[in-house]
Amino acid sequence: MTMNEAVIDPHTFDELQANAGADFVAELVDTFAEEAPQLIDEMRSALDTGSTERFRRAAHSLKSNSSTFGAARLAALARALELEGLPPDASGIDAAARELETTLAALRALARA
Amino acid sequence: MSAAAASEASRFGRFEVLIAERRLLVDGRPIALGSRAFDLLAALVARRDRVVSKDELMDVVWPGLVVEDNNLQVQISALRKVLGAQAIATVAGRGYQFTLAAPAPGSPPAVEQRAARAPDRAGAGPVRPARLLVADDNKVNRLLLCRSLELMGHEVASADSGRTALEKLRGEHFDLLLLDLEMPEIDGFGLLEQRADDAALSEVPVIVTSSLEGAAQVARCIELGADDYLHKPVNPVLLKARVESSLERKRLRDQQRELLARLAPGSGEAPLSAGMLSTPRRVEVTLLAARLHDVDALAAAQPAHDTLELLGSWTTLMLDAIEGHGGRVHQISGDGVAAVFGSGEHVDAGVASWSATQAALEMVQLVAMFNAERSASGKDPVVAGIGIASGEVLAGLAGTPRRAAYVCVGSAVQRAVRLAAQATPSIGVALIDGATHAALAGRAASEAVPAAGTKADAKAGPVFALRTG
Repeated sequence: MTMNEAVIDPHTFDELQANAGADFVAELVDTFAEEAPQLIDEMRSALDTGSTERFRRAAHSLKSNSSTFGAARLAALARALELEGLPPDASGIDAAARELETTLAALRALARA
Repeated sequence: MSAAAASEASRFGRFEVLIAERRLLVDGRPIALGSRAFDLLAALVARRDRVVSKDELMDVVWPGLVVEDNNLQVQISALRKVLGAQAIATVAGRGYQFTLAAPAPGSPPAVEQRAARAPDRAGAGPVRPARLLVADDNKVNRLLLCRSLELMGHEVASADSGRTALEKLRGEHFDLLLLDLEMPEIDGFGLLEQRADDAALSEVPVIVTSSLEGAAQVARCIELGADDYLHKPVNPVLLKARVESSLERKRLRDQQRELLARLAPGSGEAPLSAGMLSTPRRVEVTLLAARLHDVDALAAAQPAHDTLELLGSWTTLMLDAIEGHGGRVHQISGDGVAAVFGSGEHVDAGVASWSATQAALEMVQLVAMFNAERSASGKDPVVAGIGIASGEVLAGLAGTPRRAAYVCVGSAVQRAVRLAAQATPSIGVALIDGATHAALAGRAASEAVPAAGTKADAKAGPVFALRTG
């Protein structure tokens, strides 16, 4: 539980459930779980092809969605990627991917609670 | 989708529209209505929060069929005969609107009136349901925004790219667009730019929702014509407030435009429909004037309210006939109406005189129907005269910056008015001048009548009475 609190801001998540309904939020978490890994893949592919704009856009989407669920740590990582432009290597993306795993596990637990 | 839209209020004072059973009750008794008339009534009732265009009504009533305007006219007249002329308002150049909300005067007592009105209000709800479009390529954002708006009672459609959003905006009616900036193909800025160049798209207000950072982005959106900007993740309380405020502003704008269209016919669409409104010019046109005879005598014999209602009903019918045949009203004076035919760029004298003649014949029919209705309720018939004259007039907007009106000036205008004053059942209720008679080239049956009136009339040539039987 303490780990969840660190990954997801409980206040933001509670508000989301209160406003949109718990069932709907559970579906929205599933959608995020399908979409977010594609954003990570898109960042990797953009890095490989040197496409700054595609990279920025994918990082921007990940930031935006993370903020919606109160995933502050993931949002901060994605925001750094968005603002810093095409990175010299994939280490930042790897870090975001790891944080995404943690975030999704925490969100699924909260959504089922 | 919204509970408010589903609970369709169907009682309007003395009238009750049973949509599912396809029946109309007046004072609880069923009234025989043709199926097209019922379809038309149902369409107008369902859309009574706005003016419905003729095209939209014809699509609903005659789906898949190409029909002429006057078919619609006939059905509208049939409904007015049952519901009263005021029940369906004609909004110049824009279409029709169902106006009944409160019970008709004189039937149920005040307490019942309030009760009958209550479900109508409840149906509208505290928030008027609107049709919104959400444009966002990100699925999580799009689903969440749609959900939030639906929970507010609105009907929501979505688009996952700027291009799809533009297509939907051009093909369907929306009251508000919620627009993300970062999208593939056409992004939010691109959409705003295209919207700025398109008069129809500019009617739909836009709230930009984005997590792009920096005041410059917000400023650019506002410069491009966006109404408002909401930062993502969108705060639900702010979302509700901004959406309601945008919809309210749009509703007020629409109301003002409708009011303007009613008060100054023609002026509302002036810049769009070209014609002669934007710049005054000399044009060959056909003028039609209609007037009610002996209104003083009628007014003296009945309560003031009845006279006003009579004038309102009669004017409504006359405007219907004029607009149904492509005429443009330039004067409404209570007991008189004047209109111009052939003011567009590519209308020739033959078409203008023919349209005016058709309008006149329809007026005669409508007045006969109106009198039958009056006689059924024990009221005296009205007598109306119609005059048609053709010639060159100067037309355009005249006035001061604070008050302007669409005006037509020329001897033909006066001639039409004088002919309308002279037109009576004894010599003919619809009189046309020599120029109109010549332009008609025998397409409408008429007979020469003895010249009457002033020297100017005598100089203008012979007068003919249209055969109206």
